[in-house]
Amino acid sequence: MTVLEARDITKTYQEGAQETTVLRGVSMDLLAGEVVTLEGPSGSGKTTLLQILGCILSPSGGELRIHENPVAGHSAHLAAIRRRNIGFVFQQFNLFPSLNALENVQYAINLKGVKGSAAKSEAGALLDAVGLSDRANYLPRDLSGGQKQRVAIARALACKPSVLLADEPTANLDSAVGAQILELFRDLAKRENRALLIVTHDPKVRSIADRVLQIHDGRLRP
Amino acid sequence: MVDLALKILLHDKLRFTITVAGVAFAVALVLSQIGLFFGLLSNATPTIRNANADLWVTSHNTPNVDFAHEFPETYVNRVRSVPGVAKADNLIVTFMNISLPNGAEEGGVFYALDDFSAWNLPWRVKEGNIQDLRRGEFIFLDESAKRRLGDFALGDFREVQHNRLRIAGQSQDAKSFTTTPVSFIDFRRAQEMNPDLLKGKTSYILVKLAPGADVKAVKAEIRRRLPFNDVYTTNEWATKSEAYWIKNTGIGLNAFLAVFLGVLVGVVVVAQTLYTSTMEHIKEFGTVKAIGGSNADIYRILARQATIAAALGFILGLGLAFAQKPAIEAMALKLIMPASTIAVVAIGTLLLCLASAMVSFRKVANVDPGLVFRS
Repeated sequence: MTVLEARDITKTYQEGAQETTVLRGVSMDLLAGEVVTLEGPSGSGKTTLLQILGCILSPSGGELRIHENPVAGHSAHLAAIRRRNIGFVFQQFNLFPSLNALENVQYAINLKGVKGSAAKSEAGALLDAVGLSDRANYLPRDLSGGQKQRVAIARALACKPSVLLADEPTANLDSAVGAQILELFRDLAKRENRALLIVTHDPKVRSIADRVLQIHDGRLRP
Repeated sequence: MVDLALKILLHDKLRFTITVAGVAFAVALVLSQIGLFFGLLSNATPTIRNANADLWVTSHNTPNVDFAHEFPETYVNRVRSVPGVAKADNLIVTFMNISLPNGAEEGGVFYALDDFSAWNLPWRVKEGNIQDLRRGEFIFLDESAKRRLGDFALGDFREVQHNRLRIAGQSQDAKSFTTTPVSFIDFRRAQEMNPDLLKGKTSYILVKLAPGADVKAVKAEIRRRLPFNDVYTTNEWATKSEAYWIKNTGIGLNAFLAVFLGVLVGVVVVAQTLYTSTMEHIKEFGTVKAIGGSNADIYRILARQATIAAALGFILGLGLAFAQKPAIEAMALKLIMPASTIAVVAIGTLLLCLASAMVSFRKVANVDPGLVFRS
């Protein structure tokens, strides 16, 4: 089942008189339970495409659909679409340093309107799912890189997203921990039937991919 | 609900302490300035507010209770005959010199009545019987006069306008705005001591209305009968006396400037620290947006931080203001902070802290959630 469709996506930035085109007609689909990697050199448009697919950035042209519904509108509407459908995992983890692992996940659950003990137990279950229930009360500064990324994944799952978008999720991890994280990603995608797109430079990520997309100069290569 | 706002605040305890201390300083400054202002003003009208009079008849354009002008004492008869007047008596308020045992002289403001008890003056008697003043050459001094006149005791003598008067008692809390010692003597005695000025004259007529009397109607009738005098209710006269000191001494402007300064300090500290904190956590706010939070969610965080800073700063500032009360009272000053003023300052603190957070609101409204992808 197609979860996300992008058709002829373009993105152009205007800086003064200079116009820079980053994406030049990108079309792609993400299917439920599918793991796709997006590879390309720096400046090829990977992160821009990821932001557009994640409803953070609006495209200059083309059409984006999630569950066949066109994505458009003002920032509050896009935030609501993100909250319902998209989970992000970042290279820098981007955990809240003042919240412990459990609270980091719980806060994302709070944002979708679930409060109190229900949110806390849901957060505990998600930490358990990523194998980190014994570190629930640790602040990010007391967690290793791999543990931080597991918390970030648990947080990304808080909204029960149909699409998980990961930006270089193993870039700051050593290879053994990176392999564990990739295994966790694959397991989450297959077991829970989520579409997973991983932007990466790391060739090892291919090992879990069902499909590999290459992007160069803002165009996907066949 | 995870309290991200509080957690961010507490994560940097030094900054949080500075924010709360800034608000507390501003609140303490504002409260103490307003308290001192009210304290000073309370010295301007204690005799007006404590005297058992409903109306005060003054000479035309008398600016305040201490700066009285004389008019014929027989006018009191015209007032007594006005329907609705239960009682009316003459009151002299005048300045005279008091000779001190060391030969120096001090000015004093003297309240002179025939029957003090009937008008609740003085309203607090520390020792002695106020009725003794009717017996002749006696004087009641207020306890606060010791600062200017030196120590004195019941039975001591003091010379006023070259008249030797025996101290028959002490009152309390009878002060004047100018800090001139307040004393009480018999009405006829006062006239005899300064006949050039006071013979056959009075400074005021105190009026007590009959139960159910129409205040406006009685005032109008007294005005009609005494066209060259003014008539005020107790509140009107107190307000006029206070307004004189506020306008003519600059204490009103001084209090306003001090309050303005306090508010400015508070706003600048809160705005600056919240803004710096927001900028340092801008990536976290970007993350909030990236994981589905809206601008409203971030506004709530900033508003809550401002509210926490306001609440803690206010409580601390209120404590500081009350803590300095004994030291201020030791300087013979009063710090009066009515509950209504404290409530207004509390609400003002909250509103100003929220207004300070507006600077940060504008910044986070434009946070690009895409910045979470940058390393």
